[in-house]
Amino acid sequence: MNDFPLPVRAERSNPLARVFDELIDFCRARSMFMLHYCTGCGAIELPPAMTSRFDMERLGIQPMVTPRQADILLITGYVSIKTLKRVILTYEQMGSPKYVIGICSCTVNGGMYWQSYATAKKLNEYLPVDVYIAGCMPRPEAVIEGLRKLMGEIKAGRANSWERYFREYDRYLAAQQNLFGPNWQTPTDIIGEARDYQLYGPGTEGRHTELLQQHQVPLQPLRMTLHSDVEKSS
Amino acid sequence: MSTTHLLIELVLMPLVAFVVGLAMLLMLRKIGARLQRRVGPPLLQPLFDVIKLYSKRTQVSHGLLHEAGIVVAVGAYVAIETLVPVPGMNGIAEKGGLILLSYLMMVPSLGLALGVGQCANPNGSIGLSRAMTAMLAYDIPFMLVVFGVAWQFQTTNLVELVAVQQAGGIATWGIVENPLLAIAGLFGLQAMLGKQPFEIYVAPAEIATGPMVEMGGKFLGGLFVMQSFQFYTAGVLYTTMFLGGGENWFTFLIKIFVVVAIPLSVAFMFPRYRTEDMVRLVWKWPVILALLGLVVAVQ
Repeated sequence: MNDFPLPVRAERSNPLARVFDELIDFCRARSMFMLHYCTGCGAIELPPAMTSRFDMERLGIQPMVTPRQADILLITGYVSIKTLKRVILTYEQMGSPKYVIGICSCTVNGGMYWQSYATAKKLNEYLPVDVYIAGCMPRPEAVIEGLRKLMGEIKAGRANSWERYFREYDRYLAAQQNLFGPNWQTPTDIIGEARDYQLYGPGTEGRHTELLQQHQVPLQPLRMTLHSDVEKSS
Repeated sequence: MSTTHLLIELVLMPLVAFVVGLAMLLMLRKIGARLQRRVGPPLLQPLFDVIKLYSKRTQVSHGLLHEAGIVVAVGAYVAIETLVPVPGMNGIAEKGGLILLSYLMMVPSLGLALGVGQCANPNGSIGLSRAMTAMLAYDIPFMLVVFGVAWQFQTTNLVELVAVQQAGGIATWGIVENPLLAIAGLFGLQAMLGKQPFEIYVAPAEIATGPMVEMGGKFLGGLFVMQSFQFYTAGVLYTTMFLGGGENWFTFLIKIFVVVAIPLSVAFMFPRYRTEDMVRLVWKWPVILALLGLVVAVQ
């Protein structure tokens, strides 16, 4: 899977800059806004993890409601092909650094839906997953343990697999096109973003992004119509 | 007062407001946690949140107005902070007064409207129209309360307002002299802070935080800063009008934290009203109370 190893972040020589980097990594680890995309049964273990018994807010983890505000995309349960489209749309709208956590066995390998024709088996093929929490379903302790592991990785500056999505976009797009057909297109311009934020890698563009660019329809702003206009046209 | 002194005050007042406001954000989350029998976030959590939001690598902007709107919203609050007197620092409060403040208090919402308008997210637009409706609702009791206080003390100057109340002791505090206005003010405060039951424009479960729906990274960070200013301003303004301002920072901080704690505690016990219910409620009870208070003040 790892054809293109991620560039390791060089420690800056200026000691003040290093302290600054460490402070930012610390704050990123201690403040995680979570968007839970509850697709399956694993969602039932999240309320206890958030409420008085286990209280995730102690660790600075709090739920958010839109992808723009969130840092973590928590996918709890099986992803059907239809769901996966929404998950990818949601993921692409989040601001980096962003992390994906797959909860339950279904996100690891399809779980009990292994034989289903409509379920995407390995989430990691379509999105860079940071932490898997296996179990059917994992207990709130396990969920918090997984989040703590992610916290440790972020604090150490190692949780940068989100860069993979930009640097190896072609590979992820290949898997997506394989599943959704060659006409698959999302509103977010990943290649443009990768260029803009210096995240362009050798695997960003390739055979599959060429296919995307052949049929890609540029996004148009939605036409605003009043109710009376609709009636007239119909 | 020398120019240097004034400049130092103008820088220091928003800074103090920001720090105290962050503590109020923490208080909001701690109160919520305690009422739900949780431990709640650690001490520096609001600071972590703001630093993290500003340090996001990719910042999704929808255009110039999106960025300018946040600047207007935060900038208006920075201007407001220099116009409210705090112990030891008056800034330019002498030149301002209640009337100017009540105008300036609307600017952040308008700035937010500017920014959200460019995001073109339907949830944002719905949230915005609700926010403007809410403003229309609470501004009427708010203006009545401001008018009543100005009449009661025969001044719109905040520095004089504090001086009069401090000279006469507790007996001349606005809350003792005119409790009806104080209650109406507290009611208005609940709506002004946009807390439950008047949380119509945030409504996370319904319209995905309304105006904030497209705000991520530094934009959300700016809104966090704005909210901390908002809590602080509301507390200071209420304390200045009804609780005799602050003789020193110790009593002042106690007063403003108690004032802000009341709406925040009430918030966690209520669900949300619908927009029309909120307007009906806010135009009825606080307005009646404020009008009665006005009668008391005029007599």
